[in-house]
Amino acid sequence: MSRALLVGTRKGLFVVRDGEVDGPLLPGWSIYHAVRDPGSDTLYAASNNFVYGATVHRSSDLGRTWERAEEIRLPEGSDLKLNATWHVEPGPDALWLGGDPGVLHRSTDGGVTFEPVVSLVEHPTRDRWQPGAGGMCCHSFQIADGRLYAAISAAGAFRSDDGGETWTPINQGVAADFFPDNPFPEVGQCVHKLLAHPARDGRLWQQNHCGVYRSDDHGDTWERLEGNGLPSGFGFPIALDPTDPDVAWVVPEEGAENRVTADGRLGVYRTDDGGASWTLEEDGLPAPAWLAVMREGMSFDDDGVYLGMQSGSVFVRSRDGRWTEVAENLPPILSVEVADWQ
Amino acid sequence: MILLPSLLAAEAGGRGRFETDAATIAEALRALPVASLLLDERGELRPLVNVYVDGVDVRERDGLDTRLQGSEEIRVLAAIAGG
Repeated sequence: MSRALLVGTRKGLFVVRDGEVDGPLLPGWSIYHAVRDPGSDTLYAASNNFVYGATVHRSSDLGRTWERAEEIRLPEGSDLKLNATWHVEPGPDALWLGGDPGVLHRSTDGGVTFEPVVSLVEHPTRDRWQPGAGGMCCHSFQIADGRLYAAISAAGAFRSDDGGETWTPINQGVAADFFPDNPFPEVGQCVHKLLAHPARDGRLWQQNHCGVYRSDDHGDTWERLEGNGLPSGFGFPIALDPTDPDVAWVVPEEGAENRVTADGRLGVYRTDDGGASWTLEEDGLPAPAWLAVMREGMSFDDDGVYLGMQSGSVFVRSRDGRWTEVAENLPPILSVEVADWQ
Repeated sequence: MILLPSLLAAEAGGRGRFETDAATIAEALRALPVASLLLDERGELRPLVNVYVDGVDVRERDGLDTRLQGSEEIRVLAAIAGG
């Protein structure tokens, strides 16, 4: 078994493997996220086209042929319509799909059909949600410790302890500085990416519009982590080390009004103490540079961290801390996901 | 005859031409394997999808209710948007 990077771009999906680039697969589609289901070995892509709409493609032959999901609908009678598909997450019993406008779908037939998670569509706080710059996207979905976590920009993070029947806002301690009259609301936070650590029960990380945060109680409370080595609390992706719950990487940007990597470099910052301090990693990364990494632009596994940029380059961080460029001149990169490949 | 652009043809299993004996444009489009890419979930033509019947934009006729006789050339095109 070898490793491949599924690189979603504005102009199709690319597979980077052993120094070779294969693609574009699904030409003409913007791939917001792609993943390989380790259970079925099926590839899934959250694919969008500005003319033809939003869908999910699937391939059972490593991308040689693709099939498209049946129309992905919202509940009957809803005045919402699907604007984009953002994140596909295989789970033990279903394939989950996060989308815009702040919606979640579930497939129990391998991505042929998707049913909306009505409890989130009809969440009682929805009238207080608002779209961020990327739309009102459900971009993060995690399954950990028997719980479900969904994060929506700009609605905040939500947890379900009952398989998706109900959703509890988990935003206590997370700032919404763009609401100066109420900077710590129940919902409305602009979470940019949320991850659950696969090995530490209850530990969540999030990169937010207003800071980097860690929770050790399944999201009931959050601790803000920047101001201790990070040049900025603003950024989009976050990556973890599956073998060490205290390790994380972020890519700070100048700020909401100037969305470019901080300090004129591609600076990846690493913490190994749960966010108490952060250290710049620069070995192998370009400088000076003014770049952008999208919220799905980082991935990780036991072997390393993987980073794709809007400029079309892909970097891999080996365990020794050195970053190496493994692909360049791709279309603007929207997502990177590492996958076993055979 | 319905003619599809290349991306839609790829989504239709490599077929870019479809015969139809539908009575209306709506009926003709709904029968295509790419119907959900042309029509939104309310059944309306997506804003940037253009459909021409013998060279005339259906939006200048009766839209999806435009009647067909059976011999027309129906051409689906993505609207030119941007540069």
